[in-house]
Amino acid sequence: MSAPVIRAAVGRAVRAALVLWFLVPLVPILLWAFANRWPFPDLLPQQWGLDGVRSGLAAGAPRAFVVSAALGLTVAAIATPAGALAARALDSGRVPLPRLTEAVLFAPLILPAFAVALGLDVLVLRARAPSPVAVVAVLVVAAIPYTTYLMRVAFGAYDSGYEDEARTLGASRATVLIRVQIPLLAPALSGAAFLAFLVGWSDYVVTLLIGGGRVVSVPILVGSFAAGTGNSAVVAALSLAAVVPPLILLIVVARAGRRTGTRT
Amino acid sequence: MSRRPGMRSWRAVSWRSAIWVLPAIVPVVAVLGAGLGSALLQSLGLMPLVGSPVLTLDAYRAHAGDIATSAALSVAIAAAATTIGVIVGVSMALTAVAGRRAALWAGTVTVPVPHLIGAATMGLLLADSGLLARLFGLSEGGWPALVGGRWWIAVVLEFAWKESAFIGLVVVAVLTTRVAAYDETAAMLGASRLARLRLVTFPLIRPAVVASATISFAYTLGSYEVARLLGRAYPEPLPVMAIRLFNSIDLATRPQAAAAAVVTAGLALLAVAAALTVLRRSAVWR
Amino acid sequence: MSTRLEVRNLTRRHRGQQVPALDSLDLEVNPGSCLAVLGPSGSGKSTALRLIAGLDTPTGGTVLLDGADMTDVPAEKRGIAMVFQRPLLFPHLSVIDNVAFAGRAAGLSRSASRAASRRYLDLVQLGEFADRAVADISGGQAQRVALARSLAAQPKVLLLDEPFSALDSALRSDMYALLKSIRDELNPTIVLVTHDQSEAAVVADAVAVLIAGVLEHHSDVRTAYLRPSTLAVHRLMGGLNEIPGRIAAGVHHSELGSVVLPADDDARDGPATLVIRQEMVRLVPVAAATLTGIVTSLQSAGIRQRACVRVGTTSVFVELAPQLTVAVGAQVGLELPTEALHAVRAGP
Repeated sequence: MSAPVIRAAVGRAVRAALVLWFLVPLVPILLWAFANRWPFPDLLPQQWGLDGVRSGLAAGAPRAFVVSAALGLTVAAIATPAGALAARALDSGRVPLPRLTEAVLFAPLILPAFAVALGLDVLVLRARAPSPVAVVAVLVVAAIPYTTYLMRVAFGAYDSGYEDEARTLGASRATVLIRVQIPLLAPALSGAAFLAFLVGWSDYVVTLLIGGGRVVSVPILVGSFAAGTGNSAVVAALSLAAVVPPLILLIVVARAGRRTGTRT
Repeated sequence: MSRRPGMRSWRAVSWRSAIWVLPAIVPVVAVLGAGLGSALLQSLGLMPLVGSPVLTLDAYRAHAGDIATSAALSVAIAAAATTIGVIVGVSMALTAVAGRRAALWAGTVTVPVPHLIGAATMGLLLADSGLLARLFGLSEGGWPALVGGRWWIAVVLEFAWKESAFIGLVVVAVLTTRVAAYDETAAMLGASRLARLRLVTFPLIRPAVVASATISFAYTLGSYEVARLLGRAYPEPLPVMAIRLFNSIDLATRPQAAAAAVVTAGLALLAVAAALTVLRRSAVWR
Repeated sequence: MSTRLEVRNLTRRHRGQQVPALDSLDLEVNPGSCLAVLGPSGSGKSTALRLIAGLDTPTGGTVLLDGADMTDVPAEKRGIAMVFQRPLLFPHLSVIDNVAFAGRAAGLSRSASRAASRRYLDLVQLGEFADRAVADISGGQAQRVALARSLAAQPKVLLLDEPFSALDSALRSDMYALLKSIRDELNPTIVLVTHDQSEAAVVADAVAVLIAGVLEHHSDVRTAYLRPSTLAVHRLMGGLNEIPGRIAAGVHHSELGSVVLPADDDARDGPATLVIRQEMVRLVPVAAATLTGIVTSLQSAGIRQRACVRVGTTSVFVELAPQLTVAVGAQVGLELPTEALHAVRAGP
């Protein structure tokens, strides 16, 4: 076999191995979610059914779903504009102490969230602040590095020439904002909002520590079942509920980004 | 900063510009400052639940041996997971740029999966009664203890799994925007495929790899739910120890929980400092 | 570095496109000579270069270096170097390390490859910039380093894809002089792609004109100016005079009257357009002229002036010698030297 043929075969093998690496771990929740009975060592469930789904619904999945969605949307609604504004300011190059500002804005990425939540819990209790508000505050801070970075990249690729051109064509500042800037930045904005939503939706530790058992999101619900034994079906069903909505959002955001033709 | 159309080379610092960063800066400083500050004060005995504040290092000394063991375990898990994550992630990025993007899509699918769910599904996959054990037809005792075993394999694999997607996506972004043209140029100068990887591709993606690996390492260091679900009771990584002490009925352990949290934060900062020194030496640092 | 480059029937058709980007190109470049490939944007010049370099695969045809077929040889093994429009200096390497890259890729140690490349950096007159970072040099300097880097690879053929188009005219003249000294010193075989005919005239020995993927003209520089194969080539070379008419018995009949075509020109009977360079038309006293006309406009072309002279219903453009002045509206006499005349068959 010639070198290019060997290389092509190796490439295909590596790609196949990578696809398996990423997708195989997701198979158990697909199978268990619809398995009524699946004794060891059977390869496939003995009896398919919706018992796991039903248990999940009975345990409060719909309410948890609403809580998680609210968390995700609130975090996205706050972190995206904050990050976009900060990115715009940093990109203009006129912010005082830019390096320090960037370091501060990226700090939540590396500082452990549980430590922040642990420390904050006492203060929240003493201030008698409502726990959902505190949870949102911490998660917004956790999401800001992502939104800022994504918008930073977008502003870097953004050509202010479009704005100048629009203004010479007679557009007011508001018109420029609505008809030029936002459409050009929409793909990046939706990407940033998606990441922020994901931070709020996926969180476990902060909701656990500061929520104090009152904020029951989908991950919290999954966690409570996963700690026990014999709950595989419920855990899998709830896990599907936790994975499918963000996955759908990801596809929507990716499609929207491609349609406008601008790469983030 | 790279030159862009419409950009002047000299910019006046403007305090009005500072207002635009406030909506982001104020919450970050407030939350991080209050949270970590409070944890620090609690660990030093300066913010007790009952009684008057007394500066003391008792919280750190109480389980010093355990804290050291937990720290070592946390670092080992993070290092192992990040190493695998870098190897798999960079491989994924290289195959994605060379041609078919199947691996890239597969990796992207794992991004919306929360770590807790990842831990749950890894458990269902790797446990003694898990899917892989069934696939290989190994009965109880024949399948190695990946979940809750001595080597924390399931924990490392879950982190590596998610991290490889993250690192891979970051590297793909750099490869497609910055590296493609240089690869052709290098080919025109007679460099073979291997030489191009060694002399052009790897040096150019190094900053991105270091940055994303450091972020992944720091995250893994501070992660709770994965180790809690897939690990064993003892030894415990730092976050698990901290939260166990935090939830205990004995209120005297609160400062000890805070101490473990502060140590974790310190380790994360050390990792970032190390990464920055590595990055600063690179000529490609933006 | 002097290799014979030959291209036979080279074709490239992009997927789903009817018209090929490059259609059956046949070219030879003698060892040590410089061929300029001229053409408007989208004419396939860069495509041809990429096929020769091996960066893209042709749909048909072959590339031959000293008679050897390069079809199965990947780009990195062909021994062909290419300088692009953008310098593309590796940002993570210093200037000297950039020039030494080919040496490193071939397995030389860092010191050995650096030592070997100093000569080429000196050749482009940037010896003192060896240890500079890539970000610290100007665009013109970067392009010179890119040239040195390609030369240090000691290629059999050097391909240049519009390498000077991003530079201002003063820098460009410096680069032409640099190219000449490189040719004197190393005698490489060069193919230069450009859209500027004056650049081709200064730098090249031969000119190949590509229009819409098809080779329309291939000759030395002087012939390309004086005897273009088609009207499109004539216009691309900057020619302004086209007089339609017919040829009968070696004489071209048109609005300007009957002119005898030169002996070596294609003088078959039939419709043909007469072309003559505006630089070759001479102004003579009206009394001694066979052709007279009225100056309708004057245009500056650098320090010279270009006059548009109306003869009957056609116009003839004349480039005037610097010391000559005419007034608009004046009557002038024109002389069309026979050797400068050329008939182009019908069709653009």
